[in-house]
Amino acid sequence: MAALRTTVLRQVLAAPTQRTLVTSAMPMRFAAQKLAQRPAFSLQRAAFQTSARRSILPPLPQKVRGNVNDAAQIPDVDPTHGSYHWTAERIISVGLIPLTVAPFAAGSLSPLLDGTLCGLIILHTYLGFSSVITDYLPKWRVPLMRKLFDFANFLAVFVVGWGFYEFETNDVGITEAIKRIWTA
Amino acid sequence: MLPQRMAQQTLRRLAVQNPAYRFAIPTAAVASTNAFRLQRRLVATQSVSPEEATESILAKQRLVRPVAPHLSIYKPQITWYLSALERVTGCFLSAGFYVFGTLYLAAPMLGLHMESAVMAASFATWPLLIKFPLKAFVAWLFTFHGFNSLRHLVWDTASAIQNGTVNKTGWTVVGLSVASALGLAML
Repeated sequence: MAALRTTVLRQVLAAPTQRTLVTSAMPMRFAAQKLAQRPAFSLQRAAFQTSARRSILPPLPQKVRGNVNDAAQIPDVDPTHGSYHWTAERIISVGLIPLTVAPFAAGSLSPLLDGTLCGLIILHTYLGFSSVITDYLPKWRVPLMRKLFDFANFLAVFVVGWGFYEFETNDVGITEAIKRIWTA
Repeated sequence: MLPQRMAQQTLRRLAVQNPAYRFAIPTAAVASTNAFRLQRRLVATQSVSPEEATESILAKQRLVRPVAPHLSIYKPQITWYLSALERVTGCFLSAGFYVFGTLYLAAPMLGLHMESAVMAASFATWPLLIKFPLKAFVAWLFTFHGFNSLRHLVWDTASAIQNGTVNKTGWTVVGLSVASALGLAML
């Protein structure tokens, strides 16, 4: 009898529990709400934080497109967005070196070189600003702002170009003007 | 089946009445079974449509995902500081250039006088205490962007990119740009 009892006991203890699905008393709906209300960073982490927390790009209101198993979008490979773009940037940058050094060496530039300097600075700025816009205003994050800034950047090339065209034709030119204001 | 089940039930009852049984078996076994505990089966489920799931649950969950910390957590190093400054100085210079070009175009409509002679004359009336720091700052933006751009153009040819060289050229640019800016401001 004692032997039987131990066998049964062993069987009972070895029997796998049926409670594989552990559920709490909290209904799913409340659990989801509680998750959403929870502060972004738990108290445990806040305890280690001594300074004010500043996130570099806090998430904006989310809009889920497609589903989580969609493949990442890869833009079409195009040399005008890659190697040509890169090379154009370098050519403009390198071209600006003699044009910025020349006024220091030989005084003011001829109107033609002065105009070239203005034009290259505008192109250099356009490419520089577009890199900044691409970096800080990603399409997936702020699509509207990105469009707006890209358009403003494009428009500015013509507005500023026109402005400097007027300045170069009606005034003394950019290098001479800087020289006069600087030594005033 | 039935005798076995009866034995099990009897055993459970016995266990509840007489907790001394606990000491007769290994503790780990007790912990891994629910033989001596009252089971809770409080379950509530609700059906969620796929749209609702993405819009309410997934969208909210994405808001609490960890976010990259701000730049202040990184150790200040000559490499990334100067790289950032290259962009910042370029943006300042370009912004000034753009503002001037646009204002010159709009000056007749706004009633402003942006002619070089007028600007030079008005700048001449400013006190030296404002003129000198302003000139030094603008000159430094220009000299720093200019000297540092040479480093970037050299790196583009895949040379001088060893850590030691980058440090050395970096500090050289810092010194050169500050000295030349002060020199230009004194002109």
